[in-house]
Amino acid sequence: MAGRTVPLVALLILAGCNGGTVDRHALENDRKTLDSIACEGALVADGVAHDRTTVVFARVHSDELRIDASNFADALASRATEPGIEREVRRTARHAARIAGVLKRLHEHPANRVVGAVTERSLEQLAGGCS
Amino acid sequence: MSKVFGLALGILAAVGGFVDIGDLVFNVSAGAMFGYELLWVIPIGVVGIIVFSEMCGRVAAVSKKAVFDAVRERVGFKAALGTLIASEVVNLMTFAAELGGVAIALQLLSGLPYRWLIVLAALGLGVVIWVTSFDWIERIFGYGGLCLLVFAVAAVKMSPDWGEAGAGLVPHVPQSNAMVYAYFVVGLLGAAMTPYEVYFYSSGAVEEEWTPKDLGLNRANAIIGYGLGGFFSIALMLTGATLFLGRGIEPEHLGTIALGAEVPLGEIGLVLAIVGILFAVGGASIDTVFSGAYNLAQFCGWEWGRYRTNARAPRFTLTWIVLLALGILIVLTGVDAVVLTEYAVIFSVVALPLTYLPILLVANDDAYMGRYRNGRLANVLGFVYLVVILVVALSAIPLMILTNVGQG
Repeated sequence: MAGRTVPLVALLILAGCNGGTVDRHALENDRKTLDSIACEGALVADGVAHDRTTVVFARVHSDELRIDASNFADALASRATEPGIEREVRRTARHAARIAGVLKRLHEHPANRVVGAVTERSLEQLAGGCS
Repeated sequence: MSKVFGLALGILAAVGGFVDIGDLVFNVSAGAMFGYELLWVIPIGVVGIIVFSEMCGRVAAVSKKAVFDAVRERVGFKAALGTLIASEVVNLMTFAAELGGVAIALQLLSGLPYRWLIVLAALGLGVVIWVTSFDWIERIFGYGGLCLLVFAVAAVKMSPDWGEAGAGLVPHVPQSNAMVYAYFVVGLLGAAMTPYEVYFYSSGAVEEEWTPKDLGLNRANAIIGYGLGGFFSIALMLTGATLFLGRGIEPEHLGTIALGAEVPLGEIGLVLAIVGILFAVGGASIDTVFSGAYNLAQFCGWEWGRYRTNARAPRFTLTWIVLLALGILIVLTGVDAVVLTEYAVIFSVVALPLTYLPILLVANDDAYMGRYRNGRLANVLGFVYLVVILVVALSAIPLMILTNVGQG
């Protein structure tokens, strides 16, 4: 029984990982997650803009989101892709890097209401709208 | 008066033990992804944990045996050893996730480096366990965890669609994304019925020397305590549905969960939410460490218990210290606490039958229970839940793989 189960589980895991290659489905998922990161960043920025949050929270949480976006940017810039979608994948990598850049600004100015308002707008634009 | 106090403590302990990092993550994520559609799973999970906690509290009060004593006696050495290994692995994963959660909450409050806070959090928990009595641990983390009530206020303030929320309480098949929906059903049930809760509950009952006279207290503790925990879970899911679904936000961090109170309630809501999370996951950290030590000590027949001094139960004490150290090492590898939580919850689902079947068998055993054995209602509910548990246990790992851990 175990002799059959182990290869089956390994096969399923490999199917889920898709061997590390970015396919269209994975790209769609990554885009969705990037939009989610940008919208969440916009919510944090809105808190800064309206003096509704703590400086520590805004600084720490915007940095967590920045790291997520940066990780996407790095991964999508270098991972192997399915034929025909490489340009889209690299474009999404640059998009992720832009989100990370805006979040970095928020991270560095967590008490600045003007920066909060500006980054909120930028992140909402990068996400293509958040409501 | 002491009964009322005992009830209050039990309720607070149940609240602290029920709402842990798994509940926080799965409830808010489920709301963010499916809106109110998964609300129906919460009462099912809550009734399940009430049924089995009441049973093992009763077994403890009547037979003076905690769950693992009974497991070993009832199912034999080999099966008990399998249960022990599974439960210790899941306990350790859960503890590491909770410890990571404590460090994250401290970081959101202080801004200090995460790795330093992991060590600080573990040392703090170690000191609390070493020097503080069982009662005070319950009080500190139970009362602190009540700050999570802020999510109920936040949910109401964001004016959810109560009609849709009511409809969400009726079990139904989803319109789309059926696999991910099923994954969340499994995760929510697993988070509500995590095995360490009953290990801790039954061992606590033995430690507090419950007798058959305390069976009313046992029932009240289980119903009201876990009922309150379910109330918190509903508030968290409503928050996720109301705030995050429309914005397309998928919660990936504990900080995201705290945003659920910040947006409607401002700074005070944010601070209360983080403090509530800190105490809830802190309390759960202690529960899981104790559960791990209880299980091993009960399986091996060692002296155990917090009401004994550390010197009088040395192997029990050494076990929780080792678990604490292992937890630190796991979190220090840099593993994401939220990701670890998801794996811990799903693996705990696989271990559920190994925990709950022996409880059901012992609670029905005349030799242990005499006239306090299960009645018809407890048996019907017990067997129905056992079937549910078996189904979710068999489907947990395949769903985790097929949905890419709920990502779709």
